[in-house]
Amino acid sequence: MLSEESLVRQAIDGNQLAFTQLYDEYFNKIYRYIYFRVNSQAEAEDLTQEVFIKALQAIGSYKQREAPFASWLFRIAHNQVIDHVRKQTKQKRAPLEEATAVSVEDPVAITEQKTEVEELTAALKKLPPAQQEVISLRFIAGLHIAEVAKTLGKSEGTIKALQYNGTASLRKILTRKHNG
Amino acid sequence: MAKKLEKIFNECLERMLQGESIESCLRSYPKEAAELEPLLRTALGFSWRASSLQPSPEFKARVRLRLEGARLYTKQQRQPEKPGLFAWRRGWAFALTAVLVILFTSAGTVAASSDALPDEPLYPVKLATEQTRLTFTFSDAGKAELHARLAENRALEIAAMAREGKIEQAAIITEKLAEHLEEANNAIQKVEITRSEASQFMATPEEAVTTPQATTAPDETPKAPEPEEATTTPEPETPEGKKAEQLRQSLGESTSRSLAALENALEQAPEQAKPALQRAIDTISEKSYKKPQQEPGTGTEEDEGKHKDKHKDETQPTNVEPNKNQSSSQKIKNNSKK
Repeated sequence: MLSEESLVRQAIDGNQLAFTQLYDEYFNKIYRYIYFRVNSQAEAEDLTQEVFIKALQAIGSYKQREAPFASWLFRIAHNQVIDHVRKQTKQKRAPLEEATAVSVEDPVAITEQKTEVEELTAALKKLPPAQQEVISLRFIAGLHIAEVAKTLGKSEGTIKALQYNGTASLRKILTRKHNG
Repeated sequence: MAKKLEKIFNECLERMLQGESIESCLRSYPKEAAELEPLLRTALGFSWRASSLQPSPEFKARVRLRLEGARLYTKQQRQPEKPGLFAWRRGWAFALTAVLVILFTSAGTVAASSDALPDEPLYPVKLATEQTRLTFTFSDAGKAELHARLAENRALEIAAMAREGKIEQAAIITEKLAEHLEEANNAIQKVEITRSEASQFMATPEEAVTTPQATTAPDETPKAPEPEEATTTPEPETPEGKKAEQLRQSLGESTSRSLAALENALEQAPEQAKPALQRAIDTISEKSYKKPQQEPGTGTEEDEGKHKDKHKDETQPTNVEPNKNQSSSQKIKNNSKK
């Protein structure tokens, strides 16, 4: 099996198979990251599609030395979300009614999953924006500290501090909710 | 103390993400364990619970197909820039047809190319002819009509390619179809803008002022305004307004025909070509004409009704399933009639 580095190199050279493998690796992570940021299945799907179209168009100009591939890709996703939020005016869709609870056929399990996602999204929204970003990239997208740092253009020390403070705040929010 | 706990938390989290158990981590820091444990459980719990959210496999497959189409299209667009076997063909085709069109002697090759399919030698001539026509169409209304017609041609080509199982060609043409629909929509919107500017220009100052008292002398008893005038200012019918309406209807009819052709092909095409056809159907549904959004309360009641319908449509999933009670072509047709 090829390393991610060589897959990326091949994708830069126009190898579609290599790009498809990277797509398979990152698709769910990107979707999840966007979903938790925009709170809507339809919007998350549109934006995820846009991220990969943009990545395909720009992969030729990506410089491996400057940032890890994950950081580069999530940077595109981050910018897409920022643009989307900016464009979004008064008309806000009802969130989470349309949330996907997936790979579960049982309607009870689907409802439970929806509630769970709803709870996490609501807790996340209560954090300051910088903590939201770090928690999303770290715990939802599963990036390493160094990758998150490159994605957000911050130092690793700052990311660690935001991760710690964000987790402590999340704990308080979730505990408060569970206690009534 | 907090700084120390932060450091330990980050270290433990890394270790746990590498596969170490929470108990093992806590054993390394017995003094901090009580504070550390809930934080680590929150982080891991959040991560684990978030991972239950997955995109649907259908959506993933759809994007994959779209990427494939985009890649092939980009590749094809870039080809003429490179000196190669096909570079001269496209250049030759454009130059020849440009001359033919300019001289209005398009009877031979150009006419013969009009029915060419993407896998036929005269297809580049057909595209170049279309491009030349677009270049020499200057009005927005003309551009809208032409792009609508070309989008319909692309849909027929997609159907033909899919029936023959030529998925790559179908994917490339779908990207072109999307471009034509986008251009048609843009052109209609430009006509719409011209209409609203013309309406403003045609509105008299009296119509623009909504306070009838201001125009009444102090000793005169103010007349009750006519009901229509009091509530809404009717939009003056301009030639541009009528044209935009016609264009919208014509594009709606054209997309209905395209959808009907694609849905028909969907029934006959080999199994492996069906996702490509579905993608083309989805593209038409996504790019179909949408009336520019109006601020609530600024339009007539009728317009508000349309606005509500549109909003309802937008919240629905964008992909159109062929097995639904109403076909995509019927839906588009209905929308265009609204």
